Amino acid sequence: MARVIVNPLRSPAERRNLLLGVIFASPWIVGFLVFTLIPLGSSLYYSFTRYDLLGDPVWIGLRNYNLLLTNDADFRVVMYNTLWWVLISSPLGVISAFLMALLLNTNILGRSIFRSVFFFPSIVPVVVTAFVWQFLLSTQYGAINGVLQGWGFPIIPFLANPAYVKPSLVLIHMWSQGSAMVIFLATLQDVPRTLYEAAEIDGANSWQRLWSVTVPMVSPVILFNLVMSLISGFQNFTLPWLMTQGGPEKATEFYAIFLYRNAFQYLLMGKASALAWFLFVIIVLFTVLVFRVSGRYTYYAGGGR
Amino acid sequence: MSEVSKAGISRRSFLRGLSVLGVGSVLAACAPAGAPAASSGNAGASKESVVIQHWVFWNQPGKVKDKFEASDDLKKALGDNKWEFRTGVAWDAGLTAVAGGTPPDIGVIGNYLKYMLKGSVIPLDDYISKSQVIAKDKFIEGNWNEVTLDGKVMGIPGYECFVRRGLNYNTRLIEEAGLDASKPPVTWDELLEWHKKLTKFDTAGNLLQFGIDPYDAEGGVGPGSDGFFLTDSWGFDYFDEEKKTFNLDNELMAKGIDVMNEFVKIIGPDNLAGFRKVEGQGSWGGSYNAEKQAMIIEGYWHPGETANEKPEVSKVNKATWIPVPEERRGKKVQFGGGHMAQIFKDAKNKDAAWPLAEWMQSQSFCDIIFDNIGWLPAYKPYFDKADPKKYPGLDFYFQSIKDADYWGKFIRCPIEDFISTKFIEIRESAYRGKMTGTEAAQALQKAAEDEWKNQGLS
Repeated sequence: MARVIVNPLRSPAERRNLLLGVIFASPWIVGFLVFTLIPLGSSLYYSFTRYDLLGDPVWIGLRNYNLLLTNDADFRVVMYNTLWWVLISSPLGVISAFLMALLLNTNILGRSIFRSVFFFPSIVPVVVTAFVWQFLLSTQYGAINGVLQGWGFPIIPFLANPAYVKPSLVLIHMWSQGSAMVIFLATLQDVPRTLYEAAEIDGANSWQRLWSVTVPMVSPVILFNLVMSLISGFQNFTLPWLMTQGGPEKATEFYAIFLYRNAFQYLLMGKASALAWFLFVIIVLFTVLVFRVSGRYTYYAGGGR
Repeated sequence: MSEVSKAGISRRSFLRGLSVLGVGSVLAACAPAGAPAASSGNAGASKESVVIQHWVFWNQPGKVKDKFEASDDLKKALGDNKWEFRTGVAWDAGLTAVAGGTPPDIGVIGNYLKYMLKGSVIPLDDYISKSQVIAKDKFIEGNWNEVTLDGKVMGIPGYECFVRRGLNYNTRLIEEAGLDASKPPVTWDELLEWHKKLTKFDTAGNLLQFGIDPYDAEGGVGPGSDGFFLTDSWGFDYFDEEKKTFNLDNELMAKGIDVMNEFVKIIGPDNLAGFRKVEGQGSWGGSYNAEKQAMIIEGYWHPGETANEKPEVSKVNKATWIPVPEERRGKKVQFGGGHMAQIFKDAKNKDAAWPLAEWMQSQSFCDIIFDNIGWLPAYKPYFDKADPKKYPGLDFYFQSIKDADYWGKFIRCPIEDFISTKFIEIRESAYRGKMTGTEAAQALQKAAEDEWKNQGLS
């Protein structure tokens, strides 16, 4: 039997369609080239140079990468802080979003109001979040320490002590999980009721229904939220920058803050570019790792992955 | 068929041309402005009206923009030109504009030394030689020193300059603590005694009030346009500009860190961090204005700013010399520094911008700034006539210019920002008990030398 190979561009009509498609897509293509691809390529080039923004870049090969990995004590501190943040805050953020979604998926009175209230933190600008929490957790005048002080207890230096500051930021991170919560909520409402009914007939209690029905059914969304959280965790900047600026004692000097400091405070744009590309590699590796590991635990109704 | 197509423009050719044109237009729009043409900066000569871009990094001048615009001095400086005044320009935003080839014509946007060292600003000597307003001897020596590099003048002191070393104290809190406000401390030991008496805790050990955070405001400045406070007080230079060597690992540095850290240990490092972060969101002088901190090391602006922000605290404000170690007892330390207007290499209207540098020294400009914000220029013809008693405590700073016998040096070090950041980190490690003053000084020296090498400066 002869195989017929159809060239989609053979007919003039098809070629015309393709051209029109490209023209209609050109604003995005141009935007991608100008604002993404060219800066990406430039930053890769700069990562092999000594470049201070105000002068011309000087090619130094792999020196920036070499210095980072072998002769930069700050880099080691920053990597520790960032990995701590990602490994603690990402799972806790996903868990808190999932638990909030579970609560709001029940038939409680005023459910819509609660949903709005729980979602609210994610639409508040991070700047506002930072200031609100700063006044709540403030050592001297925060609401929490005000109560403690009023009752004659010593205050807790949430943001002033190196040991407390990262957990305090994790707390704020968990509070602002409204977007992930909404995704979970939508997924929970898609779980077929018949599965719960069948589980009930089989005598499953509420914990067993949660563990054996709900969690497997939402596992793709758990994976999605976890991957997104990992990626944003590695890029964590705004909240710690606004609240602690890397302190106290460098306890919140995360990767993105270090990158920013090198780029715009020290004008080491070459080193900052190397940091950015190194971060890219780390994120890719982590994402691949999560996908590999999660393959065994994620359920896809269609059987695909 | 093909001939027909060649004779006219086919739809395909038209669309192809259009898309190329579109891409080209976008690229052109996104490209940084090119270097100015040879005639750039001659806007005044061609008598064409131009828009002069004038940027400053503070927000406060924005509040007095109307007053500026109403003044005849500004109208005279502008001539037929228009004035675009941007305030609150963050240092990194200004840097990006300069790096991208789209700087303002004239700006007070920080990163002064970087712009000088990298050739991003132009020497102003030719303008100065023809000026009736600006000359070296009309400015405080320290301020003029700051704006020069290799014998060329790369900026004009402007907006907020004057002198930056003074110990301000709240006489009400001092007297409440049973101390004599008429005999302020002269040495660090004496200051420590005051600090102990002024620091109070509640029964649960919570801090209620403290004497002084020696690292607050000017006390904490590392190298930069405000100088390096610790080195001024202890009397040494941290960097040799000619030999390109650091002098951070020395006995005075170690002692300085140990002595200043003693104050923090009494307050408690966590309490200190809490106070500094919250009072006025980390702004200088916040806890002093809230009367939680009884003393503060600040520049001349402190009396004026306090009067404008907290008049009731201003009434009990006094200022004196900064503390020095016992072996320097009686040494009267001062530092002239601050900010400067620079004209950028890539500016479109350099000549038209120059009169604004002169305008910044005018009576009306300085009056507006002094009366409404509390700032002073480094311009002698103005401050010689200004009222030193306008704000409580200000007269000390005026008198200090005549009486000071040790002026902190403005040192040009290409990695001053790095050292400044490292100094904050390392001194914190020291007052949290992780290292001694000697170890801190060694760590700072090593960090500076390593960074110098890493940046390929050796």
